[in-house]
Parts: sequence; C-alpha cells; structure tokens
Amino acid sequence: MQFILLQAVLLPLLLSPVAYYLGRKSGPTAAALFSFGLLLYCTILVIVPVLSGSYEEHYKWTQLFGEFGLLLDGLASPFAIIIYLISTVLALFSKPYMVARITTMFEERMNSEKQLVGGGTEMIESSSLKNHVNHQIGAYYALFLVMAMGMLGTILATNLIEFYVFFEVMLIPAFFMLALWGYESRRRVALLFFFWTHVGAVILLLGFLSIGLSVGSFNYADIKTHGIPPHVLALAAIAIIVGLTVKMASFVVHMWLPHVYRASPTPLNALSSGAMLGVGAYGLFRLIIMLMPGQYEHFALALNIWGLITMIYGGIMALVQDDIRKLFAYSSISQMGYILFGIGSASVLGLSGSEMMFVSHSLGKVILFMMVGAIILQVGTRSITKMGGLAGKMPITAVCAMIGALTLMGIPPTSGFMAEWTMFYGALQTAIQQGSMIRMATFGLGLIATVITMAYILWMIKRVFFGKLPENLEKTKEANWYVTGPMMVLAGFSVVIGIYPDVFFNQIIPFMKGLVGV
Amino acid sequence: MAILPFDLVSGLGDLRVWAIWILPFAAALIIPAFGKVSKRSTGWVAVAFALASAISAVTLLPGALGNHEIHNQIPWISSIGIKAGVLADPLAVIMSNVVAWISFLIFVYSTGYMKGDKDLTRFFFWMAFFLGSMQLIVLSDNFLQLFFGWEGVGLASYALVGFWYKDKKKDHVGVEGRHVLGLMDYYSPTHSGMKAFIMTKVGDVMMLAGMFLIFAFAGTFGFRELTANTSWATAMAAQHLLIPAAVLLFGGAIGKSAQFPLNEWLLEAMTGPTAVSALIHAATMVKAGVFLVARLAPLFFALAAIGINMDQFFEIIAWVGAITALLLATQGMVHPEIKKVLAYSTGSQIGYMMMALGVAGLSKQFVDGYTAGFFHLISHAMFKASLFMAAGSILHIVGSRFMTDMGGLRKYMKKTYAFMWAAGLGLMGAPFITTGFWSKDAIFAAVYQSGNTWAIPIFAIAVITAVITAFYTTRMIGLVFFGNKSKHVEDMEKEGHHVHEASPSMWVPYGILAVLTIGVGVMGLAFEHQIHDLFVNYLGSTFGIKSSVETVAMGSQPLLGGFLEGVNPVALMASLAAFAIGFGLGYVFYIGRFVDPVKFVNSNIFFYALHKFFLNRWYLNALIYWGFVVAPLYVARGLYKYFENFVLEGFNVVPEKTMAGGARIMQATQTGVSQSYLYIFGVGILIVVFLLLI
Repeated sequence: MQFILLQAVLLPLLLSPVAYYLGRKSGPTAAALFSFGLLLYCTILVIVPVLSGSYEEHYKWTQLFGEFGLLLDGLASPFAIIIYLISTVLALFSKPYMVARITTMFEERMNSEKQLVGGGTEMIESSSLKNHVNHQIGAYYALFLVMAMGMLGTILATNLIEFYVFFEVMLIPAFFMLALWGYESRRRVALLFFFWTHVGAVILLLGFLSIGLSVGSFNYADIKTHGIPPHVLALAAIAIIVGLTVKMASFVVHMWLPHVYRASPTPLNALSSGAMLGVGAYGLFRLIIMLMPGQYEHFALALNIWGLITMIYGGIMALVQDDIRKLFAYSSISQMGYILFGIGSASVLGLSGSEMMFVSHSLGKVILFMMVGAIILQVGTRSITKMGGLAGKMPITAVCAMIGALTLMGIPPTSGFMAEWTMFYGALQTAIQQGSMIRMATFGLGLIATVITMAYILWMIKRVFFGKLPENLEKTKEANWYVTGPMMVLAGFSVVIGIYPDVFFNQIIPFMKGLVGV
Repeated sequence: MAILPFDLVSGLGDLRVWAIWILPFAAALIIPAFGKVSKRSTGWVAVAFALASAISAVTLLPGALGNHEIHNQIPWISSIGIKAGVLADPLAVIMSNVVAWISFLIFVYSTGYMKGDKDLTRFFFWMAFFLGSMQLIVLSDNFLQLFFGWEGVGLASYALVGFWYKDKKKDHVGVEGRHVLGLMDYYSPTHSGMKAFIMTKVGDVMMLAGMFLIFAFAGTFGFRELTANTSWATAMAAQHLLIPAAVLLFGGAIGKSAQFPLNEWLLEAMTGPTAVSALIHAATMVKAGVFLVARLAPLFFALAAIGINMDQFFEIIAWVGAITALLLATQGMVHPEIKKVLAYSTGSQIGYMMMALGVAGLSKQFVDGYTAGFFHLISHAMFKASLFMAAGSILHIVGSRFMTDMGGLRKYMKKTYAFMWAAGLGLMGAPFITTGFWSKDAIFAAVYQSGNTWAIPIFAIAVITAVITAFYTTRMIGLVFFGNKSKHVEDMEKEGHHVHEASPSMWVPYGILAVLTIGVGVMGLAFEHQIHDLFVNYLGSTFGIKSSVETVAMGSQPLLGGFLEGVNPVALMASLAAFAIGFGLGYVFYIGRFVDPVKFVNSNIFFYALHKFFLNRWYLNALIYWGFVVAPLYVARGLYKYFENFVLEGFNVVPEKTMAGGARIMQATQTGVSQSYLYIFGVGILIVVFLLLI
C-alpha cells in the first residue's frame, strides 16, 4: 500500500485540467460526473486506510523544509473523510446551481449589452450561451477540485510548510469562485475575503517560521520530540491561534464571513462552511494542542470563553437576518464558536465532542446550504420574508432541511446530539476537576446558547417552510435529484452517526486520550 | 382467542421489552412506503403495530405483578463504555401498558378523526414515532438512552402540534384580536409547535446538566448502577452538588410535564389535531415528566439510608406541583375554548401527581404518596384521553373550538354525552364510583398524613383545586350539552349540516375509556391496594425503602370500617366536600342555569378583576413573551444595527479605505508628464552626487 494518500491529494489537482476540458467539450453533465467520480474514488482512498487504524506516507522533499508526509490518524481521519465526502456530494449539487447561475449572469450581461447595441439575433445568442456555460462550468469544476485538494492536503500534512502551502492553495480557488460567479459587489467582497484570510495566513506563517527556525525543522514529529524553545513559544502560539481563528471566523475577526457568504455562490458557501472553516479548527487541534501542550493549558480557558462568546453572538445575529444566506453565515460563526468552546474544554470527551461537532456541523450545514440553493433555484429569492409554506411544494427538501436543522440543534437521533453531549459533558468535567466557577458558568451559558441556536433555526424553518404560501410561489416545484440526492445521503449519514457514533468515536477518542494523557 | 399471539410473544423472552418500543419506530419507518400505495392504509399500519406493541407489553404484566424485573443490555458507544438497555421493572411495565393501550385506542380514533386529511402519511408517521419515543423513555435503563426518547417526544410534539402547517385561521387557538399586555393572545399552529419545542428544550437543557453532573461523579448513566453503588451521591453531597443536580433533572420534568414556570406551551399545543392532544395529554408527552420523577424519586429517597437528606428536592417537587395545580385550574374555569379547558385541567392534574410524588419523599411512608401519584397518573390517563377524544368529536361535528358555539348538544350526541359525563365525573372526582375519586383521595391522604411542615398548606391548595376542578368540569359539560342551541349551531342547521353522533371508530375508543373510568372506579380501593402492595415490594426489594405495615395507623383519627377500611377520614371528607361544592356551583351556573355567569361576574368589581386575571393567564404568558422573546429580539436588532454593522464593520472599512487612499496617493505620482519625471530624476541625481561628495 503506497501512494494511496498521495493519489487522494494530488489526483484532483492533476486531473483538474481534464475537468476543464470535459466541461468545455462535453458540457456540464460530463464535468460534474467526472468530478463526482474522481472525488468519490479519492474519498474511498481516504476511507480504506482508516479501517485498519492509523496510516501514514512519507516522501522526500527539499532539504530546507523537511519531508513531505501524509498522515491519517485519529484526529485527521474524521476531518479528511468529511471534507472529501462533502466535496463529492457538492460536485453533484453544483451542476444545476452553477448552470443556472452562469446562465443568469450571461443573460444579465446580454441584456445590458442589448440595451447598448439594440436588438440581437436569438440564434447566435443561444449557441454562444451554450459555449459560455460549457466554458465557465469547466473552469468552475477545475477550481472546485483544486480547492478540495487544498483542504485535504492541509489536514494530512505532517510539516508546517506543507500545511501552509495547502492552506494557501485552498484560498485561491475560493477567491476566484467568488470573484467570477458571486452576487452583488462580488469583486469587492472577493478582495475583502482575500485580504482577511491572507492576513490570517501571514500571521500563521510568522508563527510557523519562528517555530521552524528555532527548532531547526518544520516536521511535526521533530518539533514534538525536540520541543519548542521557550522564548518563541508564547509568541508562536498566539500567532497560530490568531491566524487560525481568523479562518474560523471567531468573534471580532469574523467580519469577513457575513459579506463573503452573502456574495458567494451557494456551493462555495457549503464547501466553505462545511469544510474550510473546520480546517481552522483542525489546525488548533494539530498545532496548538498537539505540538504545544503547555501553551494549550495556558490558553484553554481563554479559548473556551472566546468560543462561548462567539456562539452566543453568532446566534443572536442569526436571529435577526432576513437574507437566508446571511442567516447561515452567522449560524456558521456560532457553530464554529461551539467547536472553539470544545477545543477550550481541556478534557478527552470535550475535545472529542468538539471534533464530532465539526463532523455534525458539516453534515447539517451543508444540507441547509443545499436547501438554500434549492430555494434559490426553485423560488429565486433569498429574502426569508418573501418565502413561506414551501413544505407542501418541496417536501423532500423540507424533510432533509429538517434533519439538517435537528443536526445543528443537537437533537437526537442526529449526529449533533452525540457531538453536543460529549462536548458539554467534557466542559463540565473539567469544571468539576478544576473546581473552577468560571468554567461552570461557561458550561451553563453554553447550554443556554443551544436554546438560542434552536430558536433561530426553528424560526427560519417556520418562515421558509410553514405558514401561508405566497401567491407568486404557487408554481414552485421540488428540486431535481442533483440537489435532493446529496441532501438525502448526508441526512441519512447524520442519523447513522447519531445512533452509532462509534463510526468516528472509535478513532477520535483513543487519539484524544493519548493527546490529553489520560 | 388472544392466547395464541400471547404465547407467541411470550416466547420471545426479553426481546418483548425491546419490541415494545422498536415496533412503533418500525411502523414509522414503513409508513411512508405504505403512504405511496394508499394513504388510508397508513392508519391501519399504525394501529396494527401499536396493537402488537401493546400485546407485547401486556405479556410482561404477570411477571411485573410478581415484582419480577427484566434488565437486558447490549453494547452501544463502546468507545466511552456506554451500553444501551431496557429495564422492565414493575414501574416501567405498568406505565408501558398504560401508554400502549391508551395510545392504541387513540390510534383507532385517529383513523376516524383524520379521515380525508391530505397528509395522513405524515400524521401517522409522527404518531408512531411519538409512541415509540414514549416507550423508549419508559423502558430505558439509562439516562442517555432515555434522553433519545425524551427529545423524540419533543420533536414529535413539534411536528404534530404544528401539523396543520399552513396556519389557516380555523387551526389557530385563542381569540383573534385579543391582547394581553400589548401582545396578541392568538397563536398559529406552527408558532405553537415551535413554542412547545423551545420551551421544553429549556427544561431539557437543565436535565442534560443534571445528567452530566451525575455522570461526572458516577461514571454511569444506568439507573440500576446508580442504585447499586451510591458512592457518587456521597461525593456529590460533599461538594453540595447533589441537590442542584437532582433539581436540574427535575427541570426536565417541569418542561415536559408543563409545570410552573414552563407551563405555557401546553395551552398553545391545542392547535394540533385533537387526537394528538389526547396522545400528548393522556399517554405520552406530559406523562413523561411524571414518569421521570417516579423513576428518580425512589433513587434519591433511598439515599436517606446513607445519611443524605434530600428534603429540599422533594419540597421543590411538591410545591411546583401544588402551584401548578392551582394556577392552571383557576384558568380552566374561565376559558371559552373546550380543548384549552381540558389542557389547563391536564396541567393541573399533573400538578397533583407531582405534589404526591414530592410529598412522598417528605413523609416516612414513601410508598403512600408514590402509589397515590402513580394511581392518579393511571386514572387521569383514562378519563383525560376519553374527554379529549369526545371533545374532538364535538369539535369535528360542530366545527368550532368555542364552547359558546355549542350548547344543547345532549339530544343529538347521546353517546358522547353519556361518555363525557362518565369521564368528566372521573375528572371531578365523583365519590366512590370513579377512579378519579380514589386516586385524588389517595393524594389527599398522602399529603395530609405526611407529617411534614408544609403538609397543611399543600393540603389546602389540593382541596381548593379539587373544588375548582369539579366546577370547571361541570361548566364544560353544561356549556356544551345543556341550555339552548347556540347561534352557530342554528346557522349550521340552516345550511343543512345537522349535528349528529360521531362514527363508531371515534366513539368506541372513548366509550371504552369512559366505561373503564367507572368500572375500575367501582373497584377503585381494591385496585389502589393492589398497586400499593406491589410498590411496597418493589421499593423494598429494589431500593431498600421499607414501609411500615400499619399504613393508615398514623395520626390519631379513628379508622373507618366496612368497604372504606383503610381510608383516611379527613381526606375522605375533604374529597366529598370538594366535589359537592364544585359540582353544586357548576350546576347552579351552567346546568340548572339559575344564575347567569356573565352577569354574575360583571356585577362585582372583585369577580370581574379576578375573571380577567385568570383569563389573561395570570399574565405569565405575556411576561414570558416580553422577557424572552420581544425584548431579546429588540436587543438583537440593536446589536446588529449599531455594533455589528457599524463598530465591527470598521475592521473592513478602515483597511479598505486606507488602501484605497494609499493607492490614490501613489496614483497621483504617476502623472504621465515626462517633464516632471525628468525633473524628479534630476533632483535624485543631484542628491546622489551630493551624498557622494560628502
């Protein structure tokens, strides 16, 4: 068994020109199915080694940075599996959404040009529309594959520079997807996105360089064995925490996220919320808790409180949104707050719950973003006040969205409950062990935050799916299987994990036990 | 005839216990498939599976009556060492049978009640899911698994209360245009479903916290493990965490059982189809809280043996129960909607059960209060299910939820009229012939005999509530069946819709329960002694709670002889008096109609104010909305507008403007005029030369 993970990481990058070419020559369906098949293959490549425990591959790289390794252990495997699973299903979902989006953009442009030129020939227009769509969809899938590969690479990296390179690689496609197919003021927002995440990445790089240069190696394993010299330790820890929390959009450094989510095409929202934000959380696990346990003990409570503030603040903001995408933007901020809360819990079950939270948030949020996409496709509005009563018109979407909502709310039998109970229990355990009233309070407030989460989600569901159907939506139809199929798969998966969490706990919990040293 | 399936099921052994809750879930799973073929068939699938589940439950009864316990575990989350399991002890088996049979009857009723609805598949899916979740609560052997059922009933109630999700006017509750403290007292089904889910979630969150506290010390969620080794309790008591944990757990019961202060969701839950209301009130949701307390009370009471005093916990339970009993009964007196009157009555009766269970823990004779509370749960399940289903038939036929739109129906719906009397008498506690009388009397006796400092005030509240209960029940029956036909009914008849009896699939289920209320009631005392003896054995063998044999010898009252042997005379007198006063007043106002209640209330400023206070729900609902919905949303909007979009947005705007400004400066230097470039070039050369010369 060699080159398994290398294939999983590099194939999407190497074959992305093929996706582009296929899209251009044979149209959206071919590109979508190719990307889907490729990612499915790569997902299986990631799942297979997990079945037999921890797995790693090492390759020679430059002398300067160390070796190029790919590691799939108890921490990385849930992240890796979920990221590729989500990318795979989103490859299908993207097709109808992006075709519609590109068509609309093309028509808008033609209309504005028509007003300038006056009149036009339908024949030319329809054939050039087809070419345009093929061309653009090819580019979209190429970018999509590169982004998926960037995220997986970050998770599997065993070296700080490798981590950084992949970390940046996933930003670039996101930037282009946003700039090319986004909504109002997309270029400005794309720059904003690039600016924020780049600032975060540069701070992160500073932390990496200070560690690497003082230790003399960028490999995690070497850093772990040699230990980081105390004079750079605190500085490096702060740099890494700040760099990664910008990515996670924690409170105060979250300001890029609502804008980006408002302007992004929905598949990018889903990919970003379901997978990309989680990479930040993964970084905290890998780089702070694993490489700098001393610093982690130092910062745990602060992270815990920061997470609490983020989850409450995000929840409150989500309550008052009308644009359904902004609602989920704030919801994502809030959910990342949950994960941060768990990261700060300093106990085996708390950390395991936090990682499980990533899994369950990804499943739930991607379902909900697909619901948003389905509504934008079928109804054509993003304003919640203009919706209502859609449950009767889009029953499958409504049921899946409900399961996604339950997942976010942490109601059994969805994966959300398994994540939440272990995470909050872990927080309480630490509070009791340390006899800390502050931790006791954050535990209590954290539970109250779940009620806020429930309130904004149920209210959203009520306004979108229940009540009176507006007259102009009488003809709304259910979305096609490109949309409903992926939703059903993820909803089913959420329930399976909710009833039998050992699917992931079997890997996560032993790892966390080793990490915390119980 | 029934022996064959009985034997078959008995042969399954411990699997029977699993089957009780798995069968309804299985029904829920296959119902969508049947729904594709024929919508009507979904109802029969649900009924068949409910019956199978009920048969499975009944086969456990003989063992349970012999105080035999089935405890069966399988691996679940092995990475944390948590097992799933079922625990069929006498408590669980009796409860499970009550739930199973009453739900079965309600399912049968539903097939008639929901006939012609477009969404039968969804309806029966959730009904089956509801039943499965409730049985899961009853039969779980640990907190975590119980919590699955616990949230399952919450979810099912959300889906079923908001079943008519299109929020049509006829499905609302409350009076349109009526305001309390500036807030509308008129709610749509989906709003009500959401309210129920979120309000009970507040309780659930408390329960989770309590569960976690215990798990942190005990390392197990299992009920039997917690009983077997009580070192966790000692450790928790040492850190003063035991009573908070117990009270937090009780918080879950407060939410689910709609006790004060989380009682307000129950009234709006009336937006659901009536079959759902019957299920929520008689068999599933609200009984879950009582069951949880019944599950936990002996566990905590038994800690007295190792020197841990849990009085505060039991006092809270008793007082919450007493306050709720009175609070909701008073409101039941004045409401115009028939289902809401019944809903208030449920909350109030659950209050009685909580009161009894709380008092049990405060008295030396734990088993008395425990039996009384549980007996009341059984009798309430029978008559309340019957009343709800009967009320549903009336609503169905009259087409209005207001009692003022009914009136004089006794000539047209004779069967319903008779059954409603029988079940209503149960609720009122009509002496000697109804289960309600005996169970309420047992509660009175338990409270009175407890010897606790709070016994007398709680007893007084209990008796006053009983008077009110008898009054509002009489009022309800009087308004619906007596007097003249209302204008609404007359209008209906003019349009050719005649008032008629409900179909058999509807009246048979509530008929059976009404007859049982009287039938069991006649033998009520014997029935009570039976349960009492069973619980003496159960509590003694499982928890080590000893009961003295001379149960009724406490106090100095002379004992009653004859068929009333063993009944406390003070409690008996109180029960009789309460029934007589309440029924008498009700008769005067609503059946005999000697006095016009409207004129009576308006005649006196005190009665007027009181009436308004009750009608406005003691202002509790409005205050909750102001404090937890309106004000927070207001704050959230302000935060969004001024903090998020102004203060924090600065993080985006400042760098953007700085960069744009910087770019403009740089841009200004790019003039494109060659003279100026040459000029600057020249100056540069001069500076360099100058520097070199130095």
